[in-house]
Amino acid sequence: MINLGTYLGISFALFICGILVMVARKNIIAILLGIELILNASALNFAAYTKFSNNNIDGHIMSLFIIVTAAAEAAVGLGIVIRFFQLRESIHIDDAASLQN
Amino acid sequence: MNSTVVTYLSQSKELTLATEWLTKALGFNASSLVAFIVFAVVCLIVVGVMSTIGGLGTYAERKISADLQMRVGPNRVGPYGILQFLADGVKMILKEDIIPSGADRFTFILAPFLCLIGVFATLAVVPFSSGFMLADLNVGIFYLLGMASLVGVGVFLGGYASNSKWSMLGGMRGASQIISYEIPATITIISIVLLAGGLSMGTLIGGQGGMPQQWYLFHNPFSFIGFFIFFIASLAETNRAPFDLPEAESELVSGYHTEYSGMRFGLFALAEYIEVFVVCGVATALFLGGYKVPFDLGTGSILVEKLGMDEMLAKNLGQILEIGSFFTKTLGLYYVVIWVRWTLPRLRVDQLMTLCWKYLTPIAIFNLLGCAVWMYAFDGKSIYSLLFESVASVAGHH
Amino acid sequence: MFTNTLFLLSAALTIGGAFAVVYSENLMHACIFLLASFFGVAGLYACIGADFLAATQLVVYAGGVVILMLFAIMLTGGTANNFNRFGLEKIAAMGNKKTYFMAGITAVVSSLVLLKIIANVLRNQSSAALEANLPTVERIGTVLATDHILAFEISSVLLLGALIGAAVISRPRTEKND
Repeated sequence: MINLGTYLGISFALFICGILVMVARKNIIAILLGIELILNASALNFAAYTKFSNNNIDGHIMSLFIIVTAAAEAAVGLGIVIRFFQLRESIHIDDAASLQN
Repeated sequence: MNSTVVTYLSQSKELTLATEWLTKALGFNASSLVAFIVFAVVCLIVVGVMSTIGGLGTYAERKISADLQMRVGPNRVGPYGILQFLADGVKMILKEDIIPSGADRFTFILAPFLCLIGVFATLAVVPFSSGFMLADLNVGIFYLLGMASLVGVGVFLGGYASNSKWSMLGGMRGASQIISYEIPATITIISIVLLAGGLSMGTLIGGQGGMPQQWYLFHNPFSFIGFFIFFIASLAETNRAPFDLPEAESELVSGYHTEYSGMRFGLFALAEYIEVFVVCGVATALFLGGYKVPFDLGTGSILVEKLGMDEMLAKNLGQILEIGSFFTKTLGLYYVVIWVRWTLPRLRVDQLMTLCWKYLTPIAIFNLLGCAVWMYAFDGKSIYSLLFESVASVAGHH
Repeated sequence: MFTNTLFLLSAALTIGGAFAVVYSENLMHACIFLLASFFGVAGLYACIGADFLAATQLVVYAGGVVILMLFAIMLTGGTANNFNRFGLEKIAAMGNKKTYFMAGITAVVSSLVLLKIIANVLRNQSSAALEANLPTVERIGTVLATDHILAFEISSVLLLGALIGAAVISRPRTEKND
């Protein structure tokens, strides 16, 4: 039951869910949720290939860096969202349509 | 299935006989089934004992606070009022379970369970003794940190879902406090991991000995300071006084569990008292030698050699001594936690954040560097063995 | 046997959580389902012997990212202005039928591409016996401090930059009146 195919299938499902959330939602935080799902799918893929392909530890390192980057991205992204809310009183993605003010 | 307690128990003859008998009776290899049953029974025992300790914690808290304030405390139910927690539990179960009309029902119901799941999941790696440990994961302490952070989510959601201003403020304070104080606690744990050279509880305790001078507390000056940083940070992480801002009665009624009644409130309280026990157990394991007993009594080899005991019996006696050692140290720390609560006044919010970010975190980072330099400079020897060696070499010169 | 049960549970938790994130109309609930999905992924890591990754997943996501998201939701809620600055009605924040339709088309297109890529793997399932799971902590530590030392250092700089950047961006700016 535990083989590369099932793992790829699960990460495929995660990825599609992430895409759906990213496109369908108009709330910036909800879009960030979708991005987290997609990053998780990719990290899962790296770990799965490590186990079933060559048992080299490099895939785990790659997954670790993905997790680190996701954490940094979430921190900065949510900081921007909070700043945006202070300026515009809204977190609707369509309100973020101009580069200045 | 890789469980310490199952491995330990499978050494005994009775279990082997039972496995053989079951294999014959059922017609297939029953060793895995027996392992599962043993594991489930031990899990039930651990959860039951820990819930009792959590309940007794409320009794101990009231009795010790009564002592400190020169009152009598609970003394009606049972001898010395020791059955008070059972009476409280019955009262909580019989109380009406109220969900406020404006509450977010799904989250309101989920929050106490998240707290309880987080705490019970950490019990899997708490080292009661070298044999009686549910699982000696090789990422043990790291797993414990991750599971304990679930309590923060539970507290936050409890505050959010109640739809009350007091709960909301309490929940936000609780979550920000828990994630802030995780940083000094984790950095201190990393410095001890550096000394021991491994993340599993077995490795962390294996580097220490039974005598106080072999503990990591007295290994070097940095780990001595580290113990106090870890203790303060874990007080804040479990929302205990003087850091009980999330449930400050004078400002927030009772914080994130204001709107909870009956057994849902009971689950929050139970999770808090068990978490205090777990945190004290971790402090014991990291700094105070964990379950180690002096003179290698824990393995039972001395009993076999000197008294000619049966090997399994000597081992079991050793395990009981180890469990006694662990519980003595942990409950001692538990007493200190309660003592601190009824002695010190509560901090303000800005003082709380100043303490974490301006004092504890820099000192913890300095300690980490200091431990690394100590390991490099003195080859990982403790201050006691260095002194002992220098005294021995001076004595040798004369 | 135990691993298979754990795998099934984690897979159900992961996929169920992800679908609930898609269909939940409440942002707070979506965040909780996301937490469930992260726990499932940690279980999946544990099934293939990536113990350190599983623990990292728990520490970073359950303790960090999800609480951060919940905080951001709490700090940005409260206003309901349904019209943009041109006076036109905005699309609902959690999406409506039109956005779901567009999302469906995007998902179908990207899933066709992805299925084309992973079709080979799905067709040629090797049923070779798996090696036993070895502890990975020591190997990861060795490799991080030797082969991947540059990436390790760069990620530490990235984290420092993210820490300072997030603090600077979200700090409330005081208006100067003089």
